[in-house]
Amino acid sequence: MTQVLATTVVVASLYALLAAGYVLVYRATRVLNLAQGDMMTLGGYFLFLVATAAPGEPARAIAGAAALSALAGFLIYRLLMRPMAGHPIFAAVLVTVTLGILLRAAIVLVYTDRIRHPLGLLGLANPARPLIGGAVVSTFDLFTVGAAAALFAALFLFLRFSPLGIQMRAAGEKPLLASQRGINFHLVFALSWALAGFAGALAGILYANNVRLDPSLGVLGLKAFAVALVGGLDSLGGVVPGALIVALVEVLSVRYGDPLLADVSPFLCLLAMLLVRPWGLYGTKEELERV
Amino acid sequence: MRGGGYFKTTYAADLALVDTRLRRRALAALVFLLLVLPRVASPFILDLVAQTALAAVGALALNVLTGLAGQISLGHAGFIAAGAFTTGLLVENGLRSPLIALPAAAVVGAALGIVVGIPALRLKGLYLALGTLALHHVVLYACAEFQNHWGANTGVSVPPPALGPWVLKGVVAWYYALTLAAALTLALSVNLRRSRAGRAWMAIRDREIAAESVGIDVARYKVLAFVWSSAITAVAGALFAYHRAFVSVEAFGFFLAVEYIAMIIIGGLGSALGAVLGAAFVTLLPHVLDAMVAGLRLAGGAAYYLFPLKFGAFGLLMAVFLLFEPQGLVGIWRRVRNWFALWPLRYRPLRSAS
Amino acid sequence: MTSFFELTPSLELENLEVVYHHVATAIQGVSLRVMPGSIVTLLGTNGAGKTTTLRAISGFLGADNAQIVGGRVLFLGQPVTGRRPHELVRRGLVLVPERDKVFETLTVQENLRALVPGWRAWRGADRPRIRLDQVFEYFPLLADRRRQLAGYLSGGERQMLALATALLCRPAVLLVDELSLGLAPAVIERLMILVARLRDELGLAVLLVEQNAGAALAVADYGYVMEHGRIVYDGPRDRLLAHADVREFYLGVGHRAGRKSYTDVKQYRRRRRWF
Ligand SMILES: Nc1ncnc2c1ncn2[C@@H]1O[C@H](COP(=O)(O)OP(=O)(O)OP(=O)(O)O)[C@@H](O)[C@H]1O
Ligand SMILES: [Mg+2]
Repeated sequence: MTQVLATTVVVASLYALLAAGYVLVYRATRVLNLAQGDMMTLGGYFLFLVATAAPGEPARAIAGAAALSALAGFLIYRLLMRPMAGHPIFAAVLVTVTLGILLRAAIVLVYTDRIRHPLGLLGLANPARPLIGGAVVSTFDLFTVGAAAALFAALFLFLRFSPLGIQMRAAGEKPLLASQRGINFHLVFALSWALAGFAGALAGILYANNVRLDPSLGVLGLKAFAVALVGGLDSLGGVVPGALIVALVEVLSVRYGDPLLADVSPFLCLLAMLLVRPWGLYGTKEELERV
Repeated sequence: MRGGGYFKTTYAADLALVDTRLRRRALAALVFLLLVLPRVASPFILDLVAQTALAAVGALALNVLTGLAGQISLGHAGFIAAGAFTTGLLVENGLRSPLIALPAAAVVGAALGIVVGIPALRLKGLYLALGTLALHHVVLYACAEFQNHWGANTGVSVPPPALGPWVLKGVVAWYYALTLAAALTLALSVNLRRSRAGRAWMAIRDREIAAESVGIDVARYKVLAFVWSSAITAVAGALFAYHRAFVSVEAFGFFLAVEYIAMIIIGGLGSALGAVLGAAFVTLLPHVLDAMVAGLRLAGGAAYYLFPLKFGAFGLLMAVFLLFEPQGLVGIWRRVRNWFALWPLRYRPLRSAS
Repeated sequence: MTSFFELTPSLELENLEVVYHHVATAIQGVSLRVMPGSIVTLLGTNGAGKTTTLRAISGFLGADNAQIVGGRVLFLGQPVTGRRPHELVRRGLVLVPERDKVFETLTVQENLRALVPGWRAWRGADRPRIRLDQVFEYFPLLADRRRQLAGYLSGGERQMLALATALLCRPAVLLVDELSLGLAPAVIERLMILVARLRDELGLAVLLVEQNAGAALAVADYGYVMEHGRIVYDGPRDRLLAHADVREFYLGVGHRAGRKSYTDVKQYRRRRRWF
């Protein structure tokens, strides 16, 4: 029982990191970034890249990989998404789909589709940790939970109190008015993509160390969009309960059902949510009309 | 007054499917070409045309839903899978006749269309796309469970369709069958544009509230669009199963849905001709890339890079169309046509002063 | 008013032409001037092209697929045609738009804070700095409603919030689109007086686009009348107030026999202005 709870929290943390990326980009640009999963993979491979260049320096490697991913997010906005301004939203969403395809192709081209384990390169270990109550998790499981908690706290403070955060919310609501108030909304949007890249990279880095790294990790991203929708696409706060619900259902269906069911369970949650409350747990109802 | 390509004098002329003499001749030439093609072309080419035709059936069906009615679906692969698996299930249970399988697939597709269409009434745009994407995963899950139950983990083989003594076998036979299917779907889709339902769908696509206010039953027509589209799509899935002679979940991943979306986008959203062009483009692209790589005569190891390159080229082309040619191949075609129609004059839009 | 012609205008349009979707001309050769420290009003019926003019000035046309195809915009003597909106704002050319003028999902305070001056973007501007408490002094109502979501404000309160946020951008020229839209006459009067006070105390130049000619001409120094994308008449306030067509069609106090549509009146005096 405690094991179920512990696993749920860990899985939820990973999903929450990814879903934060969806929500950030959506809040700012109204685009659902279906490449978020592949941006996570990219983060993992950046870690691999930095780790091969300078083995045995975990702190620098992780910081470098996260920074590279944020930069990648920024560039993706600048090169791919910004030209889509003025096109229908759905076309922009499809561009993110092609972005995912391109990222995956690039990764396979450079690193082949072999499974990698950057953990060894970094000179780290991932010992199991027993918790009170008899549950066992790995060290990086704990890091995942910690990273998710820290990211959400930081994002909350940033969006709530910092001028830049307020500008990000403002530009997300009415980009034209924002530019009329001196806000360079393209810059703000690029920043939100950079933040999403950073959040995705955190997930990718932790997952790569904790489990493995291969080019098809991106499917996790599809599960995480179910999380974002269950919580409400425009609500960062909704991500947390959304992630917990989806993770719990998934963990339970692994335990009592079969792996096939577990794979599809996030989508079942999503469909159920779309039927009862399409705007999600904490999303705003008006959002449905905007898209 | 005399009617012309763009200038119609009667309502009937405005409704005509093939309106000018030039177009009638072009159509006749195309039909003739398709009929004699098996006499001149190699089996490989015929097979490519057949694959294109099959893809075109699916793309045309998606085009009705997304291009005409404006309901975005990322779950198209799910409907195809549903049709294919219906066929597989029937075959597995001894009902091998396509006379049963094709209608059954259509009924399953239509039912699925209702299942999706009714909840979809509450959803719009992005949310609808995500709902259908989720549905795609659920349908695939159901198919995977079926597959496991059959004990055939890799898939089910489907014998060629037979009507009494006639068995649909061989490249030429399939070529005719699939081209005919595509032609029928094309005629049906073009015809839909001038039907009441087609006009209602276009009205809903352009502005739902306005459509409602002129008395269009939005809910009914939306569900109808789903039913229509998914029924045809499921039939395409059944044909797919027969043509491949094999059904397996792996064939119907998210990437297939993206491919279909790519077809109607690259072709030109909302245009039946575009759906066919897009189907041809997406189907032929990998073969063209193959041929190009083969032409380069690279060393043995290079073949390894072929897959990611093909995959990436597909993504790149789709991005290029989305970014620079939102009207798709049809848009290019129209521009070329206008250029010839206006020659030697030119239409030049006003340019910005700065 | 001897210095009037020697000053550099705060804002000047020279034969501006705007085309929508590459085909529909909305503005054809509009020229106008706003002098420092003056309120200029731009009058016109629905669809005359007033909003389009303001959009063209503030670099906003791209979003509606419109383009400036001729003429130029001079701001403080420098050409700024086609600059991006946020740059123009940072230089002091600030618009209060017709619709969508506040961030509805942000609180009043956040609306004001989203653009608090003092951040690097505003560096070097020699325009007077406007502080938050100064704004609250002009709009005491906003101080009471700081914590409320701007989406819950009434039309008049939104208008005030929009003016307040515009002020915080430290404008040299304030462009206001339909200050009176949907407001009660008493509120309009109060806001107009406030605009006049802002002009006096902060030395702002204001371009006031209005349908409500009476209210606008009560505070304006100079006025232009626009129709079908052209300026058809202009003059100082008193001349406009005395002008028969303006009286008849804008102020509703004409005494000609029968009603006329605007387009029936063909003989507008199209004059070459300023020289
Ligand atoms: N987005 C657009 N696309 C095409 N034409 C437009 C667009 N916006 C405005 N127009 C046209 O430009 C002309 C001027 O419109 P504009 O909005 O500037 O008028 P206005 O004077 O502000 O009217 P109102 O008093 O009603 O606000 C109108 O004829 C209108 O049809
Ligand atoms: Mg207007």
